[in-house]
Amino acid sequence: MSEDSTPAEKNSGAARLVHPGERLNVSTDIVPGHGIRQVGEDFVVMRMGTLRENGKTISVDPLSSRYVPRSGDLVVGYVEGMTNNIWFLDIGASFNAILPMSLAPWKVEFGAVREHLNVGEAVLCRIQEVDETHSAVATMKGMGLRKLKSGLLEEIPPHIIPQVIGKGGSMLQTLKDLGQTRIVVGQNGRVWLDGDYSGMSKVRAALKMVRETAHLPGLKERVNALTDE
Amino acid sequence: MGYGDYQCMDENGIREDGRKADEMRPVEIECGVIPVADGSAYIKWGKNEAIAAVYGPMEAHPRKIQRQDRAILDVRYNMAPFSTSDRIRPGFNRRSREISKVTRDALESVVDLELYPRSKIRVEIEIICAEAGTRCCGITAASVALADAGIPMSDMVVSVAAGKCNGIVLMDLNKPEDNYGEADLPMGILPMTDELVFLQMDGDLSMEEFQLAWDYNIKAAHEVHAIMVEALKKRYGGDI
Amino acid sequence: MAIPIIPSLLRNNLAELAADNKRLDGRSQFSGRDIEIEIDCLHNAEGSCRVRMGDTIVLAGVKFQIMTPYPDRPTQGGLMTSAEIRPVCGPNWEPGPPSEESIEMGRVVDRGIRESGCIDTNELCILPGEKAWQVILDLFAVSDDGNMFDAFALAAIAALRTAIVPAEKFDVGEDYKLPVNGTPIMASYNKVGGRFVYDANKREELGGDERIHITLGDEGHVHSLQKGLRGVFTAEEFTEIMDNAQIRCQELRQMVHELEGSK
Repeated sequence: MSEDSTPAEKNSGAARLVHPGERLNVSTDIVPGHGIRQVGEDFVVMRMGTLRENGKTISVDPLSSRYVPRSGDLVVGYVEGMTNNIWFLDIGASFNAILPMSLAPWKVEFGAVREHLNVGEAVLCRIQEVDETHSAVATMKGMGLRKLKSGLLEEIPPHIIPQVIGKGGSMLQTLKDLGQTRIVVGQNGRVWLDGDYSGMSKVRAALKMVRETAHLPGLKERVNALTDE
Repeated sequence: MGYGDYQCMDENGIREDGRKADEMRPVEIECGVIPVADGSAYIKWGKNEAIAAVYGPMEAHPRKIQRQDRAILDVRYNMAPFSTSDRIRPGFNRRSREISKVTRDALESVVDLELYPRSKIRVEIEIICAEAGTRCCGITAASVALADAGIPMSDMVVSVAAGKCNGIVLMDLNKPEDNYGEADLPMGILPMTDELVFLQMDGDLSMEEFQLAWDYNIKAAHEVHAIMVEALKKRYGGDI
Repeated sequence: MAIPIIPSLLRNNLAELAADNKRLDGRSQFSGRDIEIEIDCLHNAEGSCRVRMGDTIVLAGVKFQIMTPYPDRPTQGGLMTSAEIRPVCGPNWEPGPPSEESIEMGRVVDRGIRESGCIDTNELCILPGEKAWQVILDLFAVSDDGNMFDAFALAAIAALRTAIVPAEKFDVGEDYKLPVNGTPIMASYNKVGGRFVYDANKREELGGDERIHITLGDEGHVHSLQKGLRGVFTAEEFTEIMDNAQIRCQELRQMVHELEGSK
């Protein structure tokens, strides 16, 4: 994630909750960002969330979200089905992504796709392109992209990913240290954990806490408290 | 008691359940009551109780219902078999179908559907206890559940109904007032602009009565809206 | 119900945990999730109960109708159980006529109650050959996070045991408490990672195999059994879960009785 500051840190203590339909009073030089629409003179809040002001832009950080794929995203997909030259991946979005044989890291013989990836298996892949109706093509060609053969997948809503990663990856490092666990955060909210049982349990408990309280200030302190226990 | 014998109001202008003519029944709303749903709400409106759940956006199935340019709302209003005094047999029901449709039409007027082409958003409304006015209850709960699910929309629909009983215009008819009443005017109101996205009426109202019922509804919608907003904020610990 | 894909990582993980005698949510093999029971929660039903087990939430409502007894059993009323699982309760449940899954749930709950004999259908007679009560038990799912069978069965018996027969409403005498002579309780076990666990949650159900439902009466007698889904099990495995069911059902029965006492 290129995000260098999290909403919770930015607003340090004063997150204003807004609801759909709410009108905002803003000065004339402010422009509407995500979750805000300008109707005439009015700035209308389009979704439930916390208000964020960033320079001249005012936007809403959602409190609930579903993954919408963007090209370049690193995601975890489950194989849902296949034809003789394409895999269909559930990436947690509205639609399955396709992984064509030509973008797999293996030399696949015609009719032997299941030898490499079978239904129910998980892959770490990247979104290659997305069309205007949200159909996505995934690729497994690239550094670190692979089939996930061990570990566990946990799900978090995509909007809290910035908090789970933290400033410069600090939160992610804290979580890794907490459980002595390997962690990869997919931008679709699937978090891959690999380590021993007790370590993964600790990280899962921490992720649950983050999921429930990501919008409240003092997240870092709460996670650090877990580490100290 | 036969038709016409019912007295909805005493000489002091107080209704059987203690309300004045323009007064709502008490409304309570809670968000996030269905842990497995993307968004949910519980509403208690007088003795009415309903739950609403939102799932999605997800791929619209079957493909023939997909729209290339926008999402569709898949709204279902249903009354649980034990929700009324006489048990309701599960299964197809024309009344539920119609209410599902008008609810969809109301909610589709505010949801930013263009963001999710070819998708559907499932909105499930279940009436658990019914005591007159369940469609308003359902639409209001569904709006809160949509907001809770993080679905973008330009306003939250608030649905309320005024009616007439014994020739008196009354806000929010209860069960006996509805049974013996002469008219019912349910509306779906966008509280920020006082625009309407849902309107039905049946019965008999003069133009004066109609205007009064309309005014009652607009006023009540703002009261219910405040409760909806409070419920959504409470879910996330209120204003911090 | 839409068939979700079963992640192979989840199955592997559940097998590893089972080998270590652990569970995904930290419970032990035979411990259940926290339970909340509330009775009389639906004011238009003559008996009602809401049960919450973890994130699984269900309602049961009891209604009464007057029926004409069957000619061969002129003094008997009837009990009808219906579980219509509405798509409100989870992403994989679909609208439409009752699915096989919901019919199975309704019938298994029904058998446990019926066969325990806790409702004497002769006591439902109003006028022999002419009028008798039909007790209708409707099961309603609010949130499906696994093991709806046990939640339904618990809500069902608590709703029946606290139901009031609405005789006044039907002009056939005074209202009275529905006689229920027993408290049949169900305990369900799912094969997860190669061994049976009690009260599986949704993820364990998804990554698990077959399930077994046991309904026991007050004396510890078996009143209904059901094996569901694909899988095989041994006599030893069955003995182990039956022993546990005896303990668990007694605990839950106690819970229902305490609740009635406090009413």
